[in-house]
Amino acid sequence: MKKILSIARYTFIENVRNRVFYILILFGVVIIGASLLLAALGGEQQQRILLNIGLGAIEVFALLTVSFSAVTLILEEMESKTIYLVLTRPVPRGVYLFGRYLGLAAAVYCGMAIMSVMHLGVLLLKGWNPGLKYFIAILLSAEKITIISSLALFFSLFSSSAVSSVSFTFFLWVMGHFSEELNFLANKLQLVVPKLLIKTFYYIAPNLQYYNLRDFWDVPGLSIKWLSAASAYGVAYSLVFLFLSLWLFKNREF
Amino acid sequence: MHAIEAEKLTKIYKKQHLFSVSRTSGVEELSFSVKEGEIFGLLGLNGSGKTTTIKLILGLLKPTAGGVSIFGSRMPAVDVLSRVGYLPEVPYFYRYLTAAEILEFYANLSGLKDGKKLARKMLELVGLSERADKKLSEFSKGMLQRIGLAQSLLHEPRLLVYDEPVSGLDPLAVQEMRGLLLKLKTQGKTIFLSSHMISEVEKVCDRVGILVRGRLVRVLEQKEWSQNPGTLENIFVSHAGESSEMGRISL
Repeated sequence: MKKILSIARYTFIENVRNRVFYILILFGVVIIGASLLLAALGGEQQQRILLNIGLGAIEVFALLTVSFSAVTLILEEMESKTIYLVLTRPVPRGVYLFGRYLGLAAAVYCGMAIMSVMHLGVLLLKGWNPGLKYFIAILLSAEKITIISSLALFFSLFSSSAVSSVSFTFFLWVMGHFSEELNFLANKLQLVVPKLLIKTFYYIAPNLQYYNLRDFWDVPGLSIKWLSAASAYGVAYSLVFLFLSLWLFKNREF
Repeated sequence: MHAIEAEKLTKIYKKQHLFSVSRTSGVEELSFSVKEGEIFGLLGLNGSGKTTTIKLILGLLKPTAGGVSIFGSRMPAVDVLSRVGYLPEVPYFYRYLTAAEILEFYANLSGLKDGKKLARKMLELVGLSERADKKLSEFSKGMLQRIGLAQSLLHEPRLLVYDEPVSGLDPLAVQEMRGLLLKLKTQGKTIFLSSHMISEVEKVCDRVGILVRGRLVRVLEQKEWSQNPGTLENIFVSHAGESSEMGRISL
């Protein structure tokens, strides 16, 4: 456990000392600031615009950080050969991989937390307290990011090319937001091959619509059952792809 | 028990093309053993398979055939690595971390307690205590080499595997490295090093293996070259001279 935490700690430090991390946080802050201007045009919908743009900005920041960082998480270490001095110590490959993953996730969650505090401050300044729902929305966004980072890590070990890994990750991110539409389309299609193809995508791509709380903001009473199911789904999906990544990583040579 | 024992160790690199697979031989049927407490040098030209051999010993590569053991443990094995210190030809570190942080990190990975204290102690030993809190991105090549040495020794390993330890060092640093290797030997450490610098190898090694195009063509004992200066060089050139992939300079 100490080894996992050591690897997670240095990965965290590596990420938060990276200039790109701050540029992305700045990008999020600028968007939250810009939402104030847009909200001014929104008439009675001001608060809703502020909420949606803010939550969206936090998620986009996290998506960009996690996609690029997770893809290079191992690839960069292999290219720079820094991995040699880790794997020539008594460190099982699984410990290394999970430590790297946890460290990256912690850095991204940290960035999300900083931006959430700023966003919440803006909402409170405008005289709107979104309450507990806001924190649940951020938590669900974080779960979405956890899923995407496990996918990005898997693709980086599967394809060995950063560009194709990022492309696959974004593709599944988009697919994940159209899960129900994919299912609907597959059920409507009569042709076997396209039907099978779309069904396959439907089952492989994560259903990220579970985590878009801002789509259900006005639905009264959030079901604990739904929240628990979404969390369990996120954990299970991420674990499957983490173990697939581990299997690929164990067979890697350096 | 031998510190290292290789038995018909073979590595063939495969590269997948669109419609074919190409194979390149890294090393072929290497059989040798390194006794505890000795300095064994692997001498070869660039591309002769020295680094491949080291990566196979450390478990970074998996052999295509044959195998290698460290203190009786068949590689790749994780636990035995706590008794091994490795120094790559060019040690690459995380440039975001400070000197103290990187050594503490490696101490933790080696399962050592009180990593922070150990890191400071090692930095003092390699003469870098003044720069403990500087990021490694600000370090010169010579300083990084010292950090490399520190990380290879901080867990007090019994076996040291050094890949080209004097490559690219200035004469003073080469002399320091030579002194260090001999001192480590007196402390009972086993050292396996690779090099293409004959003059250095003959000064420190007890035995030398000559690697030519991935094959171990000869293993010599110190007494075979110590009495006649230039012997090792002549033997090496007689084996490796014709194997160079480049033609001879004829200016």
